[in-house]
Amino acid sequence: MRCEEKIPGGKLVCVEIWPVQSGAGRPKAGSVRVSGDFFLHPEDAIYAIEDSMKGLPLDSEQDEIRGRIQEALDGKGATLIGVSPEDIARMFIKAVEG
Amino acid sequence: MMWRLIEHKQNDAFMNMAIDEAVSESVARGESQPTIRFYGWAPEAVSIGYFQCLGKEADLDNCAREGVDIVRRRTGGGAVFHSSGEITYSVIAKEGLFPRDILESYREICGWIIHSLSLLGIESEFKPINDIVVNGKKISGNAQTRREGVLLQHGTILHTVDVERMFSLLKVPDEKIKDKMITSVKERVTSISQQRNISWNESYDALVAGFTKGKEFGFGELSGKESSRAMELSRLRYSSKEWNMMR
Repeated sequence: MRCEEKIPGGKLVCVEIWPVQSGAGRPKAGSVRVSGDFFLHPEDAIYAIEDSMKGLPLDSEQDEIRGRIQEALDGKGATLIGVSPEDIARMFIKAVEG
Repeated sequence: MMWRLIEHKQNDAFMNMAIDEAVSESVARGESQPTIRFYGWAPEAVSIGYFQCLGKEADLDNCAREGVDIVRRRTGGGAVFHSSGEITYSVIAKEGLFPRDILESYREICGWIIHSLSLLGIESEFKPINDIVVNGKKISGNAQTRREGVLLQHGTILHTVDVERMFSLLKVPDEKIKDKMITSVKERVTSISQQRNISWNESYDALVAGFTKGKEFGFGELSGKESSRAMELSRLRYSSKEWNMMR
């Protein structure tokens, strides 16, 4: 599952999701990768962002995904440039929708 | 504030990135002065941004065939082909010397490049987030990181540009539209020599003048500690598969 976009006024971003299904439960994001030519200070906060979406049901609401990413950023005191938590959350949903 | 100016020298890609990090560490410890460094790449190289996927950005086969090194930077931003036709710089100093706002600090350092270009009679402007353009065409790309209270910004200024060669080494999303992309990039990218008939040496002298304007500075070299740390970082990190293939 993949969504790549050039953010208007921002950077080229790609969100990739590797889903997992355990039992009869809702399918979830097993792992997520966010790549592209954006900036993030400090850079290693990318792992916190990616981890924040790990385990999220694939049918999660955009607001919930955005909230998780924002929390990860706040926890690291990190700043994203060229893409926003909102953009990544939207792209998560688009990747799932195909 | 006394700055150290390290004059242009060529290194391989791994050493270039390692020197920027070794100097950053040394500035963070208060052992080195704020530093402006100019450098080139030998052999030629492709550098990719910290968050980019190596396989998606560089044509690994063509790079290997052409003897072009590939290195992941510790800064974000996009993939860059570094040829002998460009001049690369780094600015490494305590964060407190620059605006706290990241875009404002890009604007400040990019202002040094804009001033340098004006010394060559070329009018340019800052285009956020991290570019400098001449009549809307990109002439310089820049990338910044801040760690341990130190700001590192590095970037390139194109003296000459060979878009065909650039595209033989960088991956394009769709081979079918490669020719179209080359034409479109040619329309969006420029270089000092396309703007004016100016030699590499004149361009370099203008950059030195533009970067040091209004600063107290002295010409310097890497310290022994910085050199040995850079060699270590080059070997252990920047030339390693683990680092370069991590995404």
